[in-house]
Amino acid sequence: MAVTQVSSNKCSGGFQKVFEHDSTELKCKMKFAVYLPPKAETDKCPVMYWLSGLTCTEQNFITKAGSQVPAAEHGIIIVAPDTSPRGCNIEGEDENWDFGTGAGFYVDATQDPWKTNYRMYAYVTEELPKLINANFPTDPDKMSISGHSMGGHGALICALKNPGKYKAVSAFAPICNPLQCPWGQKAFSGYLGSDRSTWEAYDATALASSYSGPQLDILIDQGRDDQFLSASQLLPDNLIAVCSEKKIPVVFRLQPGYDHSFFFIYSFMNDHIKHHAKFLNA
Amino acid sequence: MDLYEIRGGRLDVIAEEAEHQELSRESTTMADGGARATRGVSTFQRFSVDTNESLIFEPWGDSLPSPTGAQDGHDDVFKEGETESEIVTTRNRLQGKVAEMENFASHLEEIFLTVEENFGRQEQHLEQHYNDVLQTLSQRYDDRAAGLEEEKKGKMEALYKQLLACGQAMDASKELIETAQEVYRSQDKRLLLKAVMPTIKRIEEFATEQVDLTLSTSLEFDTPLADLSDVKTMMDSINVVPAPSAPVINPQMPNSATQTSLRVCWSLFSDDTVEYYELYYRPVLEDTPADSTCAPHVSKVKVKETHCAVTDLLPNAQYELWVTATNTTGISPASEKTLYMTVPSPPVIKQRECTSCPEAALIRWESGNTNPVDSYTVELSEMGTDGAESGIAESVVAVPTCQCLIQLQTGRRYLISVRAVNIGGPSDRSDVITVSTTGTFFYLLEDTAHPCLSISEDGFTVFYGDEELPISAMALDDNNTFTRCVAVLGDLIPVRGRHYWEVEVDDGTEFRIGVASEDTERNSYLGANNTSWCMRHILTPSRHKYEFLHNGWSPDLRITVNPVRVGVALDYERGTLSFFNVDLEQHLHTFQCHFRNYVHPCFGLDNPGALTVHNRIEAPEYSFI
Repeated sequence: MAVTQVSSNKCSGGFQKVFEHDSTELKCKMKFAVYLPPKAETDKCPVMYWLSGLTCTEQNFITKAGSQVPAAEHGIIIVAPDTSPRGCNIEGEDENWDFGTGAGFYVDATQDPWKTNYRMYAYVTEELPKLINANFPTDPDKMSISGHSMGGHGALICALKNPGKYKAVSAFAPICNPLQCPWGQKAFSGYLGSDRSTWEAYDATALASSYSGPQLDILIDQGRDDQFLSASQLLPDNLIAVCSEKKIPVVFRLQPGYDHSFFFIYSFMNDHIKHHAKFLNA
Repeated sequence: MDLYEIRGGRLDVIAEEAEHQELSRESTTMADGGARATRGVSTFQRFSVDTNESLIFEPWGDSLPSPTGAQDGHDDVFKEGETESEIVTTRNRLQGKVAEMENFASHLEEIFLTVEENFGRQEQHLEQHYNDVLQTLSQRYDDRAAGLEEEKKGKMEALYKQLLACGQAMDASKELIETAQEVYRSQDKRLLLKAVMPTIKRIEEFATEQVDLTLSTSLEFDTPLADLSDVKTMMDSINVVPAPSAPVINPQMPNSATQTSLRVCWSLFSDDTVEYYELYYRPVLEDTPADSTCAPHVSKVKVKETHCAVTDLLPNAQYELWVTATNTTGISPASEKTLYMTVPSPPVIKQRECTSCPEAALIRWESGNTNPVDSYTVELSEMGTDGAESGIAESVVAVPTCQCLIQLQTGRRYLISVRAVNIGGPSDRSDVITVSTTGTFFYLLEDTAHPCLSISEDGFTVFYGDEELPISAMALDDNNTFTRCVAVLGDLIPVRGRHYWEVEVDDGTEFRIGVASEDTERNSYLGANNTSWCMRHILTPSRHKYEFLHNGWSPDLRITVNPVRVGVALDYERGTLSFFNVDLEQHLHTFQCHFRNYVHPCFGLDNPGALTVHNRIEAPEYSFI
C-alpha cells in the first residue's frame, strides 16, 4: 500500500500532487493525481474520483479542467487515476488510441491477453479507494465519481453497478451506450469477448434499465458541437430514454457551441463540483 | 451626645471606611488578607457596639497591623467577607436614609417658608381691610354729626324766633295793662270815659289775638336708622375670599388622552378659593368655516378638582378647551383657550399584504383614521417556544407611512402590532399579527392575476379553468393585470437576501414558474422578456419538455423525472435563481443574474390546470450551495 510522491505543487490554497504505486490489480506501476484542498490539512474530506477519457493520463485533468478552485472551495479531495495499465508489454497495446494503453474502458477484461492487467474497473472501485483512504485524510463514507467521455461511461457504470457506494455521479459527454457505438463495441469485444450479454454489465444504459438502489441524481453535460456526439459514439438519448422510463433523475444539459475538449469540461467544472458537494457535504 | 451628632459621626466613619477599602484593594500584597481581616474586625466592632466610643474613628496606621495582632485573635476572621458585605449594605441603607431625611427637612423648610409668607400676606390683607372699615365708619360718623348739627341749628333758630314773638306779645300786653291801669287810675272822668272805650276795644282786640304758645319745632331729633349694611358686608368680606382669577389651563400632557377621552389639567392662583370649575370644550373641525351656522356645539362639565377627564369624544380629533372657576363670590374670567387632541383609532393590519423572510418582515396596515395621524409605532415581541409572549419587546417609532420593514432574527416567531400616534399620544394597539421567520412568506398579488385565473380562498392555489371568459372580463382595462400570459405575481418582501418557496404542480399542467420584476410587461409571456425568469413545462406529444426561459432564450436541457413539486431559490447576493425537484432534492437549473431591481415570484399556467404555492418553508441546505 506504499505510495511514492512524484510531484507536489501548491494549488488554490491546497496541493496538487501526483503519486506512483505498484498496483496489485493491474500488476504494474500506476500513477494517480490527488488534489488536497486546504481543508484537508485539518479535516477529513470527501473524495471525488475523476475518470478521464481516451488517451488521457492523470495529467490532462489536473492541468486542464480547472477543478482545483471549486474543489478547494468545497473542501473536496479529487483523485484522478490514469486511464489504463501502462508498460505491461502486451502485444498490440499501443497500436490503437481507442484500445489498449490509454483506453482501459473501466472494465475488468476477461479475454487474453488483457485479463491479467486490464482490470481498471476493480482498480478504480476497489484498490484505488482503499489506497486513498489508507494514505490521505479522507472520509471513507463520502465518495463520488465523475468523468469525461470514456471516463464518463466509467463514472456512470461505477455508480450504477454499486448502488450507494458513490454519493453523487456526474459526467461530461459520456459514452452512454457502448453496446451501440463503435468505440464500445471495439473495446468490449476486445476485453470481454464476443458474448454481448457480458457487455451489458458495463453499459450505462443497460445498467440503468435494471438499476435498483438508493436514489441517484445524475448530472450530464454534453457539448452540442461535439463531433463524437454526431458520430453516434456517445448516444445520450438512449440513456435519457431509459432513465425517463425508470424514473432515474437525470439533468442532461446540451450546451450549444461546445465540443468534446477540455475547454468544454473547464466551462462546466464548477457546476459539477457543486453538484458533488451537495451530496458529499450533506 | 446629640443624636444628630451621633448620626453624623457614624456617617463619617462610613465614608472614610469606604475610602480605605478602595485603598486596600489597590494593594495586592499577601499581607492584604490579614489587613482586611483586621479591618473586618474593627469595622464589625464599630457597628455592633452602639456606644459613643464606637463612633470614634481611629485612622489606620501607615503600617498594616500584623495579621497575628491581638485585635484579630477572634474567630471574626472567618466572617470577613460576610461582615464586609454587611457593612456595605448597612452603609448604603444609612446613606439612603440620610438622603431621605435631608429631603424631608428641606421639604419642611419649604413648607415653613410658605406658611410664613401666607401668614404675612393674610395679616396685611386683614389690616388693610380693617383700615377700610374704620375709615368708612368714621366717614359715616362725620356725616351723621354734621347732619345733626344742622338740624339743631334750625331748631334753635325757630325757638328763638318763637321766644322773640312771645316777648313781643308780653310787652304788648304789659303795655296794654299799664294803659288800662292808667285809665283806671285817671281822676278825670271825662278823660276816663274818653279813653276807656278805645282801651276796652284794644283789650278786647288783644284778647281775641291768640298767642301761639306751642313749640314750633319738635323736641325730638329726626335720627334715621343708620344703614350699616355696607359696613357689615365689609366686615363679612374679611372672612369671604374674593372671586377667583382666571385659571391657567395646562397644555396637553403626554399619554393623557385616549381614543374618546382627554384628561385636562389646569391650575389656579394660590390665593384663590374655588368651589368648582366649569370646563368648556368643543371640537375643532378644520373643514368648517368660521362663520358656519353649524358651529360645533360647546359642551360643559362641572368639576371640583383641577383636572377632568372628558369622555365620549371623537378619535384623532382636536378639541378647544377653556375653564372658569367659581366660588361664593363669583365666577372668574375664562382661562386661555387651549387645544387638546384625542389619540387616533388603532390601525388595521392588512394581513394579506404582510410578507416576511428569515431576516425581516414587511408589515402593511390601514390607518384606521379618516384624518391623517402623525406617525405609527410598530411593536414586536418574540414568541417563546411554548407559544407565550416573551417579555422582550421592541418598537419601531415614527414610521411615517402605512408600512414598515422590520429586521428580525431567523427561525423565530414574533407578535407584531401597530399603534397610530398623534400629539395626543399613541392609539390602542391594532390586532396582533404573528410572523414566523422560518422561510419566506408571501401572498399572491391578486390584482395582477389574469382574468382567466382564479385564486383559492386561502390565496395559495391558482386555477385556470377551461371555460371561455366573456369578452367583458378580458377587456378589463386594469394595467396591472396580466393580459396575455395567464399569470399572477407573488408579493415578495423587498429584502436582498435569500428566498425559497415551492410550487406544487400537476404532471399534466403546462406552467411557468419563476420571478419577474414588478413592472414586467403584462402583455408578454413570462420568460419572453428581460424582466422575467422562469421554468416552463411544455407537454409535447412525445415527452415533457422543460425550458428555463429568460429573454426568450432557454438552455437545451433534458430532465428525466418530471418534477411535481418545484423548489425555487432566489439569492440576491449571489445573483442566482435556482430550481429544484423537491421530491428528489434534484437541482434542475440556475439562472445567473444580478437582479438589480426587486423581483416577485411569478406563476403562470399555459393550459387549464392548477398550481399551489407553498410558503414559509425553511430553505433546504442544498438550495443555496
